[in-house]
Amino acid sequence: MRRRALWHSGLVAMLIGIGIGAGPALAADEIVLGSAISQTGKYAREGKFYVDAYTLAVDAINKAGGVKVGGKPYKLVLKLYDDQSDPNLSVRLFTRLVTSDKVNFLLGPYSSGITIPASSVSEKYEVPMVQGGGASGKIFDRGYKYIFGTLPKAEFYFQAAIEAAAKREPRVQTAALLYSNEAFDRSVAEGARQWLKEQRIDKVYDEEYQPATQDFTSILAVLKSKNPDLVLLAGHEENSLNFIRQAQAADVSPKMMVFTVGPPTGDFRKTLGKAAEYIYGITPWLPDMEIGGEIFKSAREFAKQFQDRFGYEADYHVASGAADVLVYKFAIEKAGVLEPKKVRDALATLDVETLYGRVKFEASGQIAMGQVLVQIQDGKLVPVYAFGKTLGKAVYPMPAWGQRK
Amino acid sequence: MLALQVLINGILLGGLYGLMALGMSLIWGVMNIVNIAHGALIMLGAYLTFWLFTLWGWDPFVSLPVTIALLFVYGYCLQRYLLNLIVRAQLFLTLLITFGVEVVMVNLVRVAWSSDLRQVTPAYAGAHFKVGGITVPYVRLWVFLTTVILSVTFLLILEKTRLGRAIRATSEELRAARLAGIPVAHIYAITFGLGAALAGAAGGLWGMLFPITPIMGGGLTLKSFVVAVLGGLGTMMGAIVGGLVLGIAESFSATYLGPTYPNAISFGLLVLILIVRPTGLVGRRGSA
Amino acid sequence: MKTRWAPVAAGVVVLAVLAAAPAALSPFLVQFLINLFMLAALAESWNIIGGFTGYASFGNVAFFGVGAYATGILLTRAAWPLALALPAGGAVAMLFAGLIGMPILRLKGHYFAIATLGVAETMREIVYNLEITGAGTGLVMPISRSPIPFFYLMLGILVAATLVNRWLSASRFGYGLIAIREDEDAAAAMGINTPLYKTLAFALSGAFAGLAGGVFADWITFIDPDGVFKVSTTIQMIIMAVFGGMGTVVGPLLGAVVLASISELLSTQLVSLAELFNGLVVILVVLFMPKGLAEFIRKREFSVRQLVRNLREYRV
Repeated sequence: MRRRALWHSGLVAMLIGIGIGAGPALAADEIVLGSAISQTGKYAREGKFYVDAYTLAVDAINKAGGVKVGGKPYKLVLKLYDDQSDPNLSVRLFTRLVTSDKVNFLLGPYSSGITIPASSVSEKYEVPMVQGGGASGKIFDRGYKYIFGTLPKAEFYFQAAIEAAAKREPRVQTAALLYSNEAFDRSVAEGARQWLKEQRIDKVYDEEYQPATQDFTSILAVLKSKNPDLVLLAGHEENSLNFIRQAQAADVSPKMMVFTVGPPTGDFRKTLGKAAEYIYGITPWLPDMEIGGEIFKSAREFAKQFQDRFGYEADYHVASGAADVLVYKFAIEKAGVLEPKKVRDALATLDVETLYGRVKFEASGQIAMGQVLVQIQDGKLVPVYAFGKTLGKAVYPMPAWGQRK
Repeated sequence: MLALQVLINGILLGGLYGLMALGMSLIWGVMNIVNIAHGALIMLGAYLTFWLFTLWGWDPFVSLPVTIALLFVYGYCLQRYLLNLIVRAQLFLTLLITFGVEVVMVNLVRVAWSSDLRQVTPAYAGAHFKVGGITVPYVRLWVFLTTVILSVTFLLILEKTRLGRAIRATSEELRAARLAGIPVAHIYAITFGLGAALAGAAGGLWGMLFPITPIMGGGLTLKSFVVAVLGGLGTMMGAIVGGLVLGIAESFSATYLGPTYPNAISFGLLVLILIVRPTGLVGRRGSA
Repeated sequence: MKTRWAPVAAGVVVLAVLAAAPAALSPFLVQFLINLFMLAALAESWNIIGGFTGYASFGNVAFFGVGAYATGILLTRAAWPLALALPAGGAVAMLFAGLIGMPILRLKGHYFAIATLGVAETMREIVYNLEITGAGTGLVMPISRSPIPFFYLMLGILVAATLVNRWLSASRFGYGLIAIREDEDAAAAMGINTPLYKTLAFALSGAFAGLAGGVFADWITFIDPDGVFKVSTTIQMIIMAVFGGMGTVVGPLLGAVVLASISELLSTQLVSLAELFNGLVVILVVLFMPKGLAEFIRKREFSVRQLVRNLREYRV
């Protein structure tokens, strides 16, 4: 009987311990930005960009005097969890950030697939979330008031690429569309179908694949037999890497190959080496664009600071992530208080120039920004086409694998 | 022409599936242990091949014997000092414990080597040759040939050597084997070691084709199930036949139905076979 | 079996305290308890087919997922209120379990386990591919402000599942299941309609898992195939039931309370560590206490000697 009582009191003590231990101590003069970001799992590569970007931006803002609220300077503090690229874990972690850690505001996760459910948490608890990792229109078409995004709409991602393809000599006649069974990529594909139709390019292949797919040989066999001029792939970096390698082994070389994720990232180009040449990518940001603002005077300065600190090239993910932190500074200072609703209103009406470009959120909460089509030449990104203008010379058609130096 | 390419692709990969399932079928057949950690053993083999390649530049085909030996030792110890403790327990407890082993292995690897994607890319990775309109990547061909060599070697060990006879005796009639003086605990451990070695070899080969992550094993365990059950549990030939069948089925379904179908088809096949003919394509009736 | 009043009274008191509690507790604790109730309900539901009937299913998460998606689809695509969508979801799960049980319960041992695993994986792949389930993107439910209704719902499902287990332990149907577990051929010879009993048990098991899934879907506001068809969910159910004591009434509940609490404590620190812990627990429990806590509680002793005896019991 005594042993049983020991058991029972042990259980109760454990439960109380959890209940009590779950409240943090909030320091004064601090603004806590919380997020669950993919540090492990299939999005780990991209997630790292955001962790580093958030860190750099927070440090830069603090160094420049922090955030002024009602005349008093506040320090920015980051609280980050690892969502392991799992949307379910993300929901739990964001709930914890809001209810248990009681952070002030939220920064977004990476990927539309995770941002869609995570933003339900911010909406439920009425705490603003500014994210730079999810581009699908589906994040923003639910009428939510507390979600803001700095990536332009996924549905428009392939627009520049397809327009450019139609302008090539010889003209691109046929295209293959390949996309991952995930929110972002499906949105990209939806838009792509529309642009292909507009440009009167024949769609000879339109297939979805499982995100965990590692073997593209069957797909490549079909592509080889259909021989499309243009191949559009919407997937995350791992998919792009595998696809290229296996395309090389299967000797599939279309005239033009465009990926949504990969080419702008230095890591992608380094991993693939020569195999990455002539592939096209899409980015809303390049370090030598003529943009800049407070804290980071120019995109170039930001890129240099980032490279110096973290040892790798900044791409648009990084710039987008840094911008997310920056807009909080501007919005909080504009609102003058830390109240979530007021800051939310300030975000909604924000219009400011930053290292990332002009940040102004539309009514849905998503930014409107153009994309630039770039091509990898000699390991570097060369802007080729944007806003109806040809920006640079593209190598077209892509030389076949066997004919490369 | 497309169909022929698809068939070739299926066969090349199917051989590897067969090798993967061979180890699982062996362990299941001899000790009635369904090894859920099978995929984790494959994963370990892949990582070993990766580290030998990355740290010391060993060509993955060359380092395969090392991987096989190391996995054999690991498997032997796992059986001898852990799994031998529950061999006579209810079936589902053995299933459960191998689940636990899988989780522990995967998470230790995660902590030690991170979840970053790894890839083994020797210089010849993208090379291919063409034969009458069919493109065959060299690596896939060599992987296939290696699986053939390993499978045949293993089958010979099982059929022709004293050790093989001892293993088969233990699996068929445990008590008689004991009476004949066969050290059962040791034989079990060797059997598991062999199964792990096969899994490790399959992992090393897999790592040459696909990215390596700590969680790559889960899907491969399930695939091995499908293959082993498809072919007939406990029959070695069955594993090989099952592997080829699955490889071809996946290749054709991915090409003609769509890339999202292969997995659904393999699991659906699993359930169907279990309901309709649990002994598999090659296995004898009544041995379920 | 004589009813022991002390534990029943204790249970009622705890229940009353919990039922009155939610508004007073920290939001974090409420979340934790809802999750705990869910895991305990799942463990109790698994106990029906695994503990009482002796058919260790490794795919019960399939019913959890089917219930979650059925409820989710009704909530989002058909705009049903939860009061209707939830029972409907549970009914779909129950029906599914019954239908799939008919062919699958003819298998035994490993084959049954693998087949159930195959069912769960097949369901995941199917859901991944259908538009109506949102495919890879999943489903997002309408937002609700307060977790309190979910607290009561999940608690209610847990209580119901436990009561069913209690009923099984003292009813003819339950005795029939136990007979099947002990010696299925003898049970059939005694005139028990074994296929019917097994299928009913499977359907009951699926019903509660499905209901838990339905509540989960609306509580978390988001479900996707990888989240609700996780193999590790079934393993959690099983290990909690085993740890507490398979085939007993409150064993699974007890197992859930202890294991979920420890896991939660760990996961506040390092999520990877929590998983490692789960894996170790599985290994240790199978080695040292396969009959669960209930064995120790019944024998009123918890000695190292018993642990060692368990360790030796099944070896080569």
